[in-house]
Amino acid sequence: MKRGFKQLLESVVKIDVREVAFEAGTKRFTGGIGSGVILSADGLVLTNAHVASPRAVEINVTLANLERVSAKLVGWDHWTDLALLRIDLVEVKRRSLKFSHADLGESGKLFPGQEVFAVGTPHGLTRTVTRGIISNNNRYFEDTRGVNGYETGAFNTWLQTDAAINPGNSGGPLVTNDGKVIGISSRTYLGANNLGFAIPSSTAQRVVAGMLREGGGITRSYIGIVPKELQDLENFYSLALNTGMLINSVEPGSPAAKAGLRSGDILLTLNGASIDGRFPEQLPPIQNLIANQPVGASLKLTVKRGTETRDYAVVTEKLESRVGEEWALEKWGLSVRKVSRAYARENQLDDASGVVVIGVQPGFPAAAAGVSRGDIITKINDQLVLSLDVIKAAQAAYETKPEPTLFEVQRNRRVSLYILKP
Amino acid sequence: MKFRLLFFAAFLLAPAALRAAADLPALWAERVKCVVSVEYVTETETERRPTISMGTVIDAHGTIIIPSGAIDPRAATWQLKDFKLYLPGDAASSPAEYLGQDAFSGWHFVRAGETTRAKLTPVTVFTGQGTSPVPALAEFVWGIGLRNKDEDFAPYIMQSHVALIQSLPQRTAIAQHEVAGPGLPVFNRDGVLIGIAATSFGQSFLQFSRRNRGDPVLLVNVEESSAFMLAEEILPNLGRIPKHVSGRPLAWLGAYGLEPMDRDVAKFLKLEAQSGAVVSEVLEGSPAEKAGLKDRDIILALDGKPLPSLKPERVVVTWLEREIDRRVPGDTVALTVLRGSARVELKAVLGEEPKLLREADRKYYDRLGFTAREFVYGDAIERRVKAAEPSGVVAHSVKPSSPAAIAGLRQDDWIKEIDGAEATSFTLVAAKLAEIETDQARAEFVLLVSRSGETAVLRIKLR
Repeated sequence: MKRGFKQLLESVVKIDVREVAFEAGTKRFTGGIGSGVILSADGLVLTNAHVASPRAVEINVTLANLERVSAKLVGWDHWTDLALLRIDLVEVKRRSLKFSHADLGESGKLFPGQEVFAVGTPHGLTRTVTRGIISNNNRYFEDTRGVNGYETGAFNTWLQTDAAINPGNSGGPLVTNDGKVIGISSRTYLGANNLGFAIPSSTAQRVVAGMLREGGGITRSYIGIVPKELQDLENFYSLALNTGMLINSVEPGSPAAKAGLRSGDILLTLNGASIDGRFPEQLPPIQNLIANQPVGASLKLTVKRGTETRDYAVVTEKLESRVGEEWALEKWGLSVRKVSRAYARENQLDDASGVVVIGVQPGFPAAAAGVSRGDIITKINDQLVLSLDVIKAAQAAYETKPEPTLFEVQRNRRVSLYILKP
Repeated sequence: MKFRLLFFAAFLLAPAALRAAADLPALWAERVKCVVSVEYVTETETERRPTISMGTVIDAHGTIIIPSGAIDPRAATWQLKDFKLYLPGDAASSPAEYLGQDAFSGWHFVRAGETTRAKLTPVTVFTGQGTSPVPALAEFVWGIGLRNKDEDFAPYIMQSHVALIQSLPQRTAIAQHEVAGPGLPVFNRDGVLIGIAATSFGQSFLQFSRRNRGDPVLLVNVEESSAFMLAEEILPNLGRIPKHVSGRPLAWLGAYGLEPMDRDVAKFLKLEAQSGAVVSEVLEGSPAEKAGLKDRDIILALDGKPLPSLKPERVVVTWLEREIDRRVPGDTVALTVLRGSARVELKAVLGEEPKLLREADRKYYDRLGFTAREFVYGDAIERRVKAAEPSGVVAHSVKPSSPAAIAGLRQDDWIKEIDGAEATSFTLVAAKLAEIETDQARAEFVLLVSRSGETAVLRIKLR
């Protein structure tokens, strides 16, 4: 066994998370386990965003020497399914705990067929090593609800491996035989055999640096185009080979829509750099190129429409998830989530005001009045629900003095009124 | 067999009461002549779909009413073909003509051919002396059912007792058991018409199986119904035979998404026992908009009359919608609405309903594998776009495994561009698609379609 591999084994941890869930019309606590890998002597642990999220109220890390120590979330990025934890160093020092840390390798140099190992905690079985090969080093996989309802995969491709990856492996490292971390094991296909996916270390390196620089999340830019590969359509659009990317959809109200871009347009260059989006796996790097532009920057897009080619200036916005902040209004038995811009666009709402009902508790005032999951609360008494604070304040007022409260609720395109009674 | 035995038993137990009234089998034999089975075919480009429903004869001209649910509102009127009548217990059919639907009563009207008319008896013959008796609670009622086509639509009798009378908003009696086929008449003990059976209400059952322990399921009996609309609701509307097969003129207000206001809300708004309907949206260019109605107004009264208190509350909305349907374009309605805390009086002149789905132009392209349909007002509402700027066409149906289906086109996709050219009008699109269809050298074409707000480019390979 190479020395590097032994060091790697001593850097892999098991992660126990207790987190709050709002879906049931009340706050509930749930637990989960995953894996992680220590990246530095000052206790940074890399894992998956779907293992440890901002909903976590308690994170415990079990080191290679089986000692358990608490940790805190210091970075979270569902787009790449990565999260960064910091081990409680005060506790480590007080208890004189020892741990090792692993090095990131170069995922860009991997080749299909290369031998790799997955290390982690499948189904809670700590310190499990499985072996396989890189099955594909550039897999495209995007999921709008992939990380506990959050979007993932738009900005990176994945490593595919046949090393056994099971639930609990999540967040654990995928390594070469010298112990270099070349990926973070993230997901598998349900019902398939030996189809595991890992986030490449090149992506992880970039995201970790961004998290440390920005102190938590990653700021990305958004212009509102949904790309699609050009494959088979080059002739129709009379394009030279390896040129252009199809804009399959332009989100209404987005910067691209405001700039005049339309579905069916072909993006040829971005700020002068030529774009080649012939195949699906070429799309994430292009999306990432857009995401990496500063928020508020004006981008020059050269676009071909029919026979005409011209430039458009698109001013970027900050990228937002479709999943807004959540809260439980326990006296009413009501869980809500802020309507985000992305959610409003997706559901063709006029604007991003209001909160979506994500759960009601049977027998509580909201359920009794007839409010149900998926409704959008737009108004409480005379107040428009422009933020989560409005509804929190209404609930606080109700708690001190329970009085019938008028809710204006939108369901599809219909508006109903309900009274929540004490 | 079961009810025949019961019937026999009833004779033994209460001979005095029954001897006084007319002989039920004799009444039945007379009244069976006012029911028919109606069969028609919905002819689309790819299939002929037969439908059978039951109907009641309403006049001496052989006019027949069948329930609103008997005809699919997606089908164009000209696709409804080969209307045929079957007399009860008779395998022979005779031709009939479709007259259209009345928006207010919901009935479809069909007329029997000359030769058949003599064999029919209008149900109005059995209405008593110009009055329509309201059955008392627990009163004995009976009606006619028709078996299926393979049994030559054999007629049979059903009997029950009135359990409940409700306003839904039409006055509707609910019997203890099934009492007639949907669309067929119901009589009292003296053979006087007291109603016509509505579509059956669903009944909840628990379904047990090895895997599931009592899952609730809703079952609807499509052959027999225990609910019937009272004669007082029916007789005044029998004259509403459409002048045109389109059912026009159709009154239109344009207040979309009316939602009932419950008692708690009324109390909160200091309206006490008042009923109301919340207007979710006022449609652009509609009579409601011209009258000054606003989104989220609460309609409290129509022509000075407060909306009735009906249960369940949803029925209030149906009541209001029917009040509009009852009127004709050009009529003025006065609306009293609550806006914020102020009462506002409005007057709206009803307009003509925009083109309906069933009236939309459509054309089928066999080689491409789909039917293109004109984009109508209702499409714009459904897709949340401004109706003033409708463009494009809708994929009304897509043939399975056709080039269009393989490329990913789905029913109800909104086609916005063809080969990069904007689809501005149906005529233009129809010409363009016809050109592609006939051009045998064509290897492919490209559609830009929109589906729930997202667009996609589809490449349809023809060779």
